[in-house]
Amino acid sequence: MRILDLLRMSSGSLLKRKFRTILTVLGVMIGTASIVVMVSLGLGINRAQMEQIERYGGLTTITVREGRNDGYYGGTVNGASVYIAGSSSSDGEVKRLDDEAIRMLQGLQHVKSVYPILTFSAIAKFGAYESDLSIQGMTPEGLEDQNIQIGEGHLPTDSSELEFFYGNKVAADFYNPKTYDYPYYSTGKYVVDLSKDTLFIIFDQSAYWSSQNDGTVQPPRKYIVPTAGVEKANEENEWSSNGYTVFCNLDALKTTLQRIFRNKVIPGQPTTAGGKPYKEIYYNRASVVVDDVENVVEVQEFINSLGYSADSNIEWIQSTKEQMANIQALLGGIGAVSLLVAAIGITNTMMMSIYERTKEIGVMKVLGCDMRNIQELFLIEAGYIGFIGGLVGLGLSYTISAVINRALAAGGEATVTSYIPPWLAIAALIFAVIIGMVAGFFPSRRAMKLSPLAAIRNE
Amino acid sequence: MAETKTPVIQVKDLYKVYRVGDTKVRALNGVEFNIYKGEFCSIVGTSGSGKSTLLNMLAGLEKPTKGQVIIGGEHMESKTENQLVKFRREHIGFIFQSFNLMATMTALENVALPLTFQGVSKEQRLKKAGELLDLVGLKKYKKHRPTQMSGGQQQRVGVARALVVHPEIIFADEPTGNLDSNTSEEVMRLMQKVVEEQHQTLVMVTHDNHLASFADRIFHIKDGKIVQIEDNRANRSGEKAAMPQQGPGTEDRVDA
Repeated sequence: MRILDLLRMSSGSLLKRKFRTILTVLGVMIGTASIVVMVSLGLGINRAQMEQIERYGGLTTITVREGRNDGYYGGTVNGASVYIAGSSSSDGEVKRLDDEAIRMLQGLQHVKSVYPILTFSAIAKFGAYESDLSIQGMTPEGLEDQNIQIGEGHLPTDSSELEFFYGNKVAADFYNPKTYDYPYYSTGKYVVDLSKDTLFIIFDQSAYWSSQNDGTVQPPRKYIVPTAGVEKANEENEWSSNGYTVFCNLDALKTTLQRIFRNKVIPGQPTTAGGKPYKEIYYNRASVVVDDVENVVEVQEFINSLGYSADSNIEWIQSTKEQMANIQALLGGIGAVSLLVAAIGITNTMMMSIYERTKEIGVMKVLGCDMRNIQELFLIEAGYIGFIGGLVGLGLSYTISAVINRALAAGGEATVTSYIPPWLAIAALIFAVIIGMVAGFFPSRRAMKLSPLAAIRNE
Repeated sequence: MAETKTPVIQVKDLYKVYRVGDTKVRALNGVEFNIYKGEFCSIVGTSGSGKSTLLNMLAGLEKPTKGQVIIGGEHMESKTENQLVKFRREHIGFIFQSFNLMATMTALENVALPLTFQGVSKEQRLKKAGELLDLVGLKKYKKHRPTQMSGGQQQRVGVARALVVHPEIIFADEPTGNLDSNTSEEVMRLMQKVVEEQHQTLVMVTHDNHLASFADRIFHIKDGKIVQIEDNRANRSGEKAAMPQQGPGTEDRVDA
């Protein structure tokens, strides 16, 4: 038989039993829709997770810190090197982040840019209140890359003069050292307006504390640092990762610290074996931005093998991905149950149809219809049910997906959405057809093996 | 009789034994005969005589216990089910007692169905089916479905369907069993005419001696054995019916 004739005959016998066909199709439709919607939710959660990771310093950023080197240079890059760099053996040479190291990192393959970061802790005094500032010195490019939302002023990009740019929660950290009362947390009001008020900054904390405890010690000098700007404080931005940080220009911080701690050890900086300061200021860490997510692991492992300690979000991403795969398998499995029920429905419908048409099948065999053709007729019929059910089910899925998205958006929870990519739609349709044919396989064999004598028998 | 011609069907020493519980029932008990090209043969016998079993065996719907059925030089008993289907598709036409037309198809599509199984293109097979419907006198009923036709008309469609593949042989299983006597005669005459004009070979099974007498030769079967082969060419029912004063229910016949 010609394929076109097979298709025509199959669809003809489906149309002849419209009501039953519709009921069976309904089952497949619900099955397909439940799988697609479930998987689409999984994909939506996955996408939301990835977006979140993106916001947390991105997928392509590696943070490099100083590390101890065990003479494990360059060579092969493998998983083991990560642990070797992480475990600090006492006799190993410490690999520190200086300008030369930054230039070296900059020169690595796949590295787009490198931002050195110098952190420093200082005390800020305002009237009866004081606060510990965590200061972060960055290059102008590094500052630009932080995605800081500027509320007032500008970013402290000027390297000639030290300026502070305050995160939107810095003001909340001021407390009264006598009562240990944080006014912001007890009253909800800021005691200081960082954009207007003048703070006194104490860089030499150890000298300050010894003068506080011992009246004979001369208190250290206080400095006034101009304000460059303040981060935007709004609801959406309230808990930004930069909230408690004070940003400043890296070079300006370096020169200021070297001037204040002339010939002395700058707090937080390493010393020689004899306790003397180094000439150079070492960076606490550096952000290495890689050109592509695919290369993050490679670059990270290579930096580790050089003796530095490097980490990124990649492990987080990988564990998140695994988790997501599990969630999707679970959701898909729940949906698959209803498709399984639909498949049983198809088998049942086909069996009934074959019992009903025993005579018709017999006649076809007497008239010389090939056994294979008979099987094909029933397989195609079952496939049709799967196809139509899948198609209508997809339509239903898109509708449900849209409703879920709208409901979640109205609830203010816009991150978790249902998302149906084209591949999912196509795969679902193919899957529905395959399920239909698999369900129709046993009945179609049954039809093929029916005796032609049934046609002769008279009812 | 045309003894010099080679037979279309040769049946040699045919046995069919059914096992019913512990007892064996011999449905066919050593049957032997030949059927020649262009013959209209009827196999007549009472119910349980083995006539239907014989027909099933000739058409390859059932396997014999022993013996040979040779159609057009091919041994039916040694074919697999697939080969039998293929053989029927190409060489055999079949007319059923209960017509067995496809309810969803028109008369034209029903006649064309065996050609569909052969893989003939739609255009060609509908043309051929149209010609045959003209032949059986259903020119105006081509677009009718079986439910819109009378029993006689349906069986005419059945006859046309059996003819459409130009078979070597046509089998008819009680073709008029579901029809009243007027319509039965009408269909019988149609079959006579077809055998003569198309030079077809037709084997019909019936329990009715009167209907059997439309054939050229009559095989009487009893208890699984052919008891008598009667040459009926001299006094066929068709010729007798053509004379207006004879035969019941023929007065309203104008054409066949």
